Amino acid sequence: MIKKFEKSLHGSESTPVNIVVAHALEAKALIPMLHLQPFQTTSRFVQYGNSNNLHLIVSGIGRAAMEAAITDLSQQQANEEGQIRAWLNIGIAGHSKAPLGSAWLGNKITCQVSGVSAYPPQLIAGIDSVAVITVDEPERTYPEDVAYEMEAFSFFEQATKYSTAELVQVFKIISDNLENPIEKLDFKNIPIWIRLLQEQIILLISKMSEIVREHNDSHRIPGVYRELCSRIHLTVNQKLQLKRLCLRYKALGLEADLESVISLAGSHSKQIISQLSAQIDRVGKQ
Amino acid sequence: MFSTIYIEEEVLETSRVKNMLDRFPQVPRVVCERYGEVFNRKSQNFRLQKKAPALILAKKYGSKVLVAPDGYGYNDSRSYYFSHMLNCVYDCRYCFLQGMYSSANYVLFVNYEDFEEAIASKIEKNSGGGVYYSGYDCDSLALEPVSDFCKHFVPLFGEYPNAELEFRTKSTQIRHLLEQPVIPNCVIAMSFTSHEAGSRWEHKVPSIDKRLEALQKLQLAGWRVALRFEPLILDSQGLTPYESLFAQVFAKLDARKIHSVSSGLFRMPIDFHKRIVKLYPDEELFARPTTTADGMIALKSEDESLQLAAIEKLLFSHISPQQYYRCA
Ligand code: SF4
Repeated sequence: MIKKFEKSLHGSESTPVNIVVAHALEAKALIPMLHLQPFQTTSRFVQYGNSNNLHLIVSGIGRAAMEAAITDLSQQQANEEGQIRAWLNIGIAGHSKAPLGSAWLGNKITCQVSGVSAYPPQLIAGIDSVAVITVDEPERTYPEDVAYEMEAFSFFEQATKYSTAELVQVFKIISDNLENPIEKLDFKNIPIWIRLLQEQIILLISKMSEIVREHNDSHRIPGVYRELCSRIHLTVNQKLQLKRLCLRYKALGLEADLESVISLAGSHSKQIISQLSAQIDRVGKQ
Repeated sequence: MFSTIYIEEEVLETSRVKNMLDRFPQVPRVVCERYGEVFNRKSQNFRLQKKAPALILAKKYGSKVLVAPDGYGYNDSRSYYFSHMLNCVYDCRYCFLQGMYSSANYVLFVNYEDFEEAIASKIEKNSGGGVYYSGYDCDSLALEPVSDFCKHFVPLFGEYPNAELEFRTKSTQIRHLLEQPVIPNCVIAMSFTSHEAGSRWEHKVPSIDKRLEALQKLQLAGWRVALRFEPLILDSQGLTPYESLFAQVFAKLDARKIHSVSSGLFRMPIDFHKRIVKLYPDEELFARPTTTADGMIALKSEDESLQLAAIEKLLFSHISPQQYYRCA
């Protein structure tokens, strides 16, 4: 099973997932695992990527750093085509009794400061989940049966501004518990734990990619749209009309007709749009 | 069956919820304060959630019995609906619920006793009468094995013989109905579209054969059954799909005993349609030319009324016009 996912991860299929980690040590094991290379950018955040569209950014620790990194990356990736990406936060957390190196998806994320909770929809089967509390200072007593960490709430809140909640997930790896307090955390263990979780991480990324790909495919705007936008002047409203018309042609199986209708309509934006509308009203009627 | 079960803190310890949870020991559980924290949030995607819907067990506050929208049923006055559940286990592409909610999770309101009280009080305000529809925001029977909904609500209507209860459904979950005494003021209204429309747009819905089998069993057991042919999505095949559908339906059921038959064209509030188009830009049905009137959107068709009249004529070869009404 995992072979199949690994293949899809390293093959030709697109993997439109942004991985956000707080700490460079968390990135350390993920870089070779996911075949990532340093990504050249003017951003102040260290980034990695691969040719399959998989991206990793190191945010720094805490809620504010997380927010800033997500804003930065989403601006860098902004597109007009309605294509979205999945967002995955991988990071360490503490839990009263969970064994070191065990890992969970967050199913409820509560901000300790505000008391507000968010609930990442659980579309991905096969990985256990747990409630997470985001704290501003490391938690040493772990009073509840949840994972304590420092970024998940901001991550979810911020990333859902740029993607849909189903595609924003947090994956928490237990680094400390009552028997192994945070003060004794040996940072060298972090990449080791992550490496040991390769199977789950790859499964998670592959399944998220599958869902994004399907979504982006169904929302893909025919290339003619971009071509026209670069060729003629269109108002914002006209762009929206044109986009919708292109999508309707595609849905009706008439994508191939788009170019010929446009070429007959000349180069005036109003004329193009009215020709496209008239034609689709004629053929689209059942 | 469910990816996760969310449970409102307030109902967590109720016996109904405990019994429901016992049936799904493997499904992850998450406790929330109010279902609105999980359901219908902005930045949720109905289409994606349909891939692995969750169940939300909640308590319904506020009005529980509402006036039915105009043209919803056959009785012009004193019509109400109540929704013990939001959303549906099936996935019909034409369904307005996709435009109504941003979440595809199923919300099941478990405070049945409060619903009961609200229904009884409404019936009493209506001097013991009125028509009460279940299945406006959901399919009435589809989750019956989990909810025990009709097991609970049918006996209530047994106490009010002049009030009528109508279940709207496409489900074959009729065991609980067959196990209890028939009451004459309960109608099970099954919806059908043509074979072609069904295979194109109705995902996870039991086959026409299975639904007819269920209706036949109910009819033979003495329950009153009704037929809802909607939404009619007219296309180039004309009447042929309906000829075969009606032949199949009326070969199986005793037409004289059918409570009512209705048909209705595809109609949807404009806002819902807009949202659905965004969810399914690749869906042929939503790329078709449309017309709008009175806040509703319809598919553009030149001879719509002629076709509808022809379909009604076909129907009248099986039933009497008195049994029929046309949905607004
Ligand atoms: S059965 Fe009814 S409520 Fe359920 S998805 Fe289909 S149209 Fe919607």
